Amino acid sequence: MIAIHDLVKQYGKFTAVDGISLDVKPGEIHGFLGPNGAGKTTTLRMIAGLLKPTSGRVVVNGHDIATEPELAKASLGFIPDRPFIYEKLTAGEFLRFHAGLYGLDGDGVTERVQEMLDLFELRRWENELVESFSHGMKQRLVMCAAFLHRPQAVAVDEPMVGLDPRGARLIKDVFRRMSEHGVAILMSTHTLEVAQEMCQRISIILKGRIIAQGTVDEVRGLAGAGDDHLTSVFLRLTGGSALQELDEVV
Amino acid sequence: MKGAFSYLLLPHIWSSRNRARRRERGDLMRGLLFGGVGLFVLAALFGGAFWLTWQLDDYDELGDYLLRLGLSWLFMTFLAFLTFSGIVTALSTFFLSEDLRLLLAAPVASRRLFYARFVRTVVQSSWMVVVFLAPVLMGVGLARCAPIGFYLTSVLTIVPFAVIPVAVGTACTLLLVNVFPARRARDLLMLMGLLFAGSIVILLRMIRPEQLMRVESLPDVTGFFATLQSPVTPLLPSFWAGEMLFASLKGGWDLLHTGALWTTALAFCVGLRAADERWHFAGYSRSQEAPKARFTKLRGLDIIARLLPLSPVRRQLLVKDLKIFLRDVSQWSQLLLLLALVLIYLYNFRVLDLGRIPYMSGFIKNVYAFVNLGMAGFVMATVAVRFVFPAVSAEGAAFWLIRTSPVSMHDFLWSKFWTGLVPVLVLTEGLTMGANELLGVDPVLKVVAACAIVFLSFALVGLATGLGARYPRFTVDPSQVAGSYGGVMFMILAVLLIIVTIVLLGWPSTTYLMLKLRHIPLGPTRLVIMGASFVVAAVISIATWLIGMRSGVRALEAMRN
Repeated sequence: MIAIHDLVKQYGKFTAVDGISLDVKPGEIHGFLGPNGAGKTTTLRMIAGLLKPTSGRVVVNGHDIATEPELAKASLGFIPDRPFIYEKLTAGEFLRFHAGLYGLDGDGVTERVQEMLDLFELRRWENELVESFSHGMKQRLVMCAAFLHRPQAVAVDEPMVGLDPRGARLIKDVFRRMSEHGVAILMSTHTLEVAQEMCQRISIILKGRIIAQGTVDEVRGLAGAGDDHLTSVFLRLTGGSALQELDEVV
Repeated sequence: MKGAFSYLLLPHIWSSRNRARRRERGDLMRGLLFGGVGLFVLAALFGGAFWLTWQLDDYDELGDYLLRLGLSWLFMTFLAFLTFSGIVTALSTFFLSEDLRLLLAAPVASRRLFYARFVRTVVQSSWMVVVFLAPVLMGVGLARCAPIGFYLTSVLTIVPFAVIPVAVGTACTLLLVNVFPARRARDLLMLMGLLFAGSIVILLRMIRPEQLMRVESLPDVTGFFATLQSPVTPLLPSFWAGEMLFASLKGGWDLLHTGALWTTALAFCVGLRAADERWHFAGYSRSQEAPKARFTKLRGLDIIARLLPLSPVRRQLLVKDLKIFLRDVSQWSQLLLLLALVLIYLYNFRVLDLGRIPYMSGFIKNVYAFVNLGMAGFVMATVAVRFVFPAVSAEGAAFWLIRTSPVSMHDFLWSKFWTGLVPVLVLTEGLTMGANELLGVDPVLKVVAACAIVFLSFALVGLATGLGARYPRFTVDPSQVAGSYGGVMFMILAVLLIIVTIVLLGWPSTTYLMLKLRHIPLGPTRLVIMGASFVVAAVISIATWLIGMRSGVRALEAMRN
């Protein structure tokens, strides 16, 4: 599970994340929604241990990221929005190195690597340099790496960007299957249809604060939006009514 | 193995192996050229060290004293270099390196990450020093018929000697990054480093070591040595390293200084590791922060550009190129180093005492005018390959903007040409005219050299712009583009052009000078041949300029199609 308590991140006088708390339970897919610059990526980077919070706590699978970083990271799979991959390594080499980072050793590693490459349809690219991969292929490779060590919690930033419909379908299926196996998934996304389709609960963040949290229906209720589509609810909550002025500008 | 820190170095080793396996176009030529130059430099270092040590052997105790002093000075220079190099490299390896995003998100113990990064920092900061020291120490050892222990001691000296200053540099970086955002710190360091390098070079030149060669200045030699000895303090690792090597050269072993060097290196490692565990994550976290960037608005540029008789497209391209260049400290600060070298170059001409050469001083001065022209040509080629050649590549991922806009590739490339031409022309013309003025060369030669620089500037800037468009590298840093296949090809063509120009101008100019010296008038035939020679030189330059540009425009148009 992923639990964050009163998390704050300040850059000088600017507060990017302003005391947010959320709890992603085992087996739950939690959507993390918000407009650009709302603080989603900053929050996810703090969960992954890449940014030091100004205050607050992040707990992954019972381990505090500040006091037990290795244990917390060992049980987390993190998929960043701008992943780093060694361009001059082959897909196989990258995954084997990644497995080593998470302490996977022995004969099982090769088998597991191939299993993941098969799952994400990259097997025939195993011995090709990453630099020759398309954006979507790199995205799938990063997912292979993130799920290689069978994490109990996953934090993922914009997983659908750059994926073709087949790739997107695959990722959705993988997430659903992982959730069925008890993995807690915190997913930031702009694709509201994906959130509506996949997430049991969602949190909407605006200017560093969570302004709505609950199931999709509960959030609809909060926004007083009746049976509206999630996009309308999102725009209503995040001040997207300015879109109505588009006609005057265009 | 997977728990060891060395496991974290594997991607770099595998990447290098994969890179070596996949050859790219021009690798062989680049390898031969750089390898040849490298071997030549190593041989020169070895030869120089061997000859100097051999000569000093004739002076018994004084020779020993000078050798000892020399070793301490050599190591002290490297001490400063390694400390600074450690600061800059640690900034990249510990804080700005892209792969940290992957490694820090993985369950890697901070101690393990520290060792891996520190080893990388030491290797990256010190490989040049090792490559320089190896032939020098080999030359010293062979000239003194040193025992095998000397070479072993050399290895035992260089390792801790490199670790100490790099650890100090890394500690400075750790402190800096916890105070300033890392990207700001990098800019500051870049600037400080270049100012430091420039002032060291100027300082060394101002000592005027050539005075030692003059018999009349012998009374000053004692003073000179006193100056040399003053910064060599027994508390610095450079002194310990020099003493260790000197003792082993004599067949002994200086245990005290060996112990001092190794224990200090180990103590620094332990101290640095503790500091890293305490402050690295906080510093890394700060380095990820992107507060509102401070930058120079450069409004004056817009005003000046508005006054220039340019089309809106060319004006905007010019303003954009200049703003990007001036806001990137890593780009423009390199010009400072170049400026320092130019000042030394001119200073050399000021102190050049050609009057001491009997009878021929006037003629030699004029020959120097051509040496000067050649040097200016090489400076021009270097500036062009570093700043003009990468102009198209520097568009990088934003090149789509040009390709999809209604701007012709002709306009785009010519805008790059004019932007590059003006500074190159002003710099090299100033350099040549200044040096010729200081030398006091014949007025005719002054005019010939000034005109030659104008033609060469057009030719080399045109060639650099054109080849830069023919062989663009949009995905790499502009500073690395110069070493690409196209960059090497440009340098080869540039050197050929400079040589041809000097030959074509040198022959008639020498004839003119010799006849003038003998008071023989120039006949019409000679005048015609001389004129023809000048015209051929001009035509070659113009052809290089225009063909280079046309080929560049065509390459860009082909890319668009």
